[in-house]
Amino acid sequence: MAAVRGTAPEPEPALFRAKLANVRPMVNMLKTISFRPRARCVINPDGLVFTVEESQCLVAQAYLRAELFTTFSYDVQLAEYYRNQEQAGFEAEDSQDGEPSDVTQVVLPLDNLIECLTLFYGPSGTSSSGAQSGAHSTATLHTSGNPGDLRGATTAVIAFNGPGTDFELLLEERGTISLCRLSTFVPEPSVDLKFSHYPTTQQLIIKSEWLRDAFNELDPTSESVSIYIASSEPHFRISTIGESGSTDMTYSNTERILDSFFCNEDQENQYKLSLILKCKQALAMSDKTKIRINQRGFLSFQFMIPTAADVSFVNFVFAPLVSADESIADATARV
Amino acid sequence: MRLRAEVTNSNLLLRIVQSIDKLTKSAILKLTPDKLHIIVITDMDSGLQLWSDIVVEALFEDYQIESNFNNEIYLEFNIDNLQRALRSTQGGGALGVTMKLVKKLGGLPVLSLIIRSQSATGREITLCQDVPVRLLSAEQMDAIREPLVPEGQIHIMMPPLNNVRSIAERMKGMGDRVAVSANRNGEMNVRVANDLVDITTYFRGLETMSYDTTTQETSTDGGGGTGRLSSETFTAVVDMKNFLKFLQSHHVAPKNVMCCISEHHALIIYVYIGSAGYTGAAAMHDSSCGSLTYFIPVRQI
Repeated sequence: MAAVRGTAPEPEPALFRAKLANVRPMVNMLKTISFRPRARCVINPDGLVFTVEESQCLVAQAYLRAELFTTFSYDVQLAEYYRNQEQAGFEAEDSQDGEPSDVTQVVLPLDNLIECLTLFYGPSGTSSSGAQSGAHSTATLHTSGNPGDLRGATTAVIAFNGPGTDFELLLEERGTISLCRLSTFVPEPSVDLKFSHYPTTQQLIIKSEWLRDAFNELDPTSESVSIYIASSEPHFRISTIGESGSTDMTYSNTERILDSFFCNEDQENQYKLSLILKCKQALAMSDKTKIRINQRGFLSFQFMIPTAADVSFVNFVFAPLVSADESIADATARV
Repeated sequence: MRLRAEVTNSNLLLRIVQSIDKLTKSAILKLTPDKLHIIVITDMDSGLQLWSDIVVEALFEDYQIESNFNNEIYLEFNIDNLQRALRSTQGGGALGVTMKLVKKLGGLPVLSLIIRSQSATGREITLCQDVPVRLLSAEQMDAIREPLVPEGQIHIMMPPLNNVRSIAERMKGMGDRVAVSANRNGEMNVRVANDLVDITTYFRGLETMSYDTTTQETSTDGGGGTGRLSSETFTAVVDMKNFLKFLQSHHVAPKNVMCCISEHHALIIYVYIGSAGYTGAAAMHDSSCGSLTYFIPVRQI
């Protein structure tokens, strides 16, 4: 290993640079989709979108709007220049997945990104305290694990200088500085479950606490979970059939539970329970959840998460389980 | 051979033993009329070694020691056993703890801790914790020597151990080796890297010292460094596991920890115990309590 320089270098401003007064909101958002080691990060003038995909049946996205950052600078012209360089020599059809040319896409290790951002969190997961010794730590300096608690917080500068370079983080807390470099990878063609390609036939907004109760009741021994939405009672039902029996949670269309309700077509669809459960953390952090199902039975959960004066979104899209009498060809034709 | 003492600071003794918990199975206890030494050797060649000394007054009262070898006694003990025994000395009702070297039935020597405490009902209870020990001869003890390490290039006072520890705990998953660097500008860096991620943490505003080979004296570096050499950085790459083992010394709540980098050879870290009233490099001269000295060999590629 080469000896490091004595002074901490600043990342040079180039393609993308953003400053965060406190890493916590970003960490909390990223943790909701951290069930895969790698994520695709899309940088555009409006913010960052982190996407993870599993088994080609689940796509989860966390949207970090530019307003969440203290400063957010993204050089669109430079981004277009890099895109053109990358695609020089490719046929028009081969160019990336229909994304506008002003976005920058990169794949990076999500678990390592979160580990770096939480570097100053301390062994118990809270921010490191200023106390000198293990035996006499003063409780008053210790910050709680409450996500809303911003005392003793880590600030961060995030930078990315284009394809082939590292994703850089410059973290600071109480005078201690950490420079983290994450390897980046060229994105492969993304899995897009294309939820919006088909009309939404059912939609409701439910207070997340109700949905959390439902998730707690789901029988983990069940392979699948069934979601039924109809224009008559029961309007919304979640059920599982497991080794010990079946569970049904039903919700009626009352103001107390459902903020809005729309149902064009009564439908029941099954989804793999183990995948549905991956959104538990996003659900835990959210106030409300928008549930949509499209004509092909794809399910979208949009979690509305409160962050410093407004709302951020985390989105999960699930492909439905293929039913026994439907062929694989039929199922892939749905996408 | 005779050893008997009132353990007036069992808490400090427990915390010292907690610092060495899980370093390895057994350790050596060398007792002299003035000092108690705990020596831990994890691996003769590539492992961490801990050599410590504490003045007996910091731990005991009415300390009586007699033997045929300059009134010194050498014991080998199982760390976990001693730790468990010392844990019994803690607790609200403890009235006093006596330590004795005793030969049990069958001729096996034990270090016996006799704990007198008061139960909730006010009755006095005596609990006896025996830690089996192996007596070492003077020849065996003599064969155990502190490692010889070339003089280091730089001595620097470390940042608060808890800060270093929490960061090291987070960095440990990213590599099995860690690079510790320092320069005379008072900066210390800790770096871990693997294929996917590279993290360097910079601690600044630390006190450094120079060793003058002619006068054999150490002195604090002037603020701002000494010209063109002040930003020269010295680095030691050690096993992350050993670095974390040294960080277990946070149990003794040290106010002063000095790190010496001997490039290509070792990190030598002096953890000063209970230096009340002295802070910074001056702690080196404060022998009020004692110190734990860690030798961490540089990793050979």
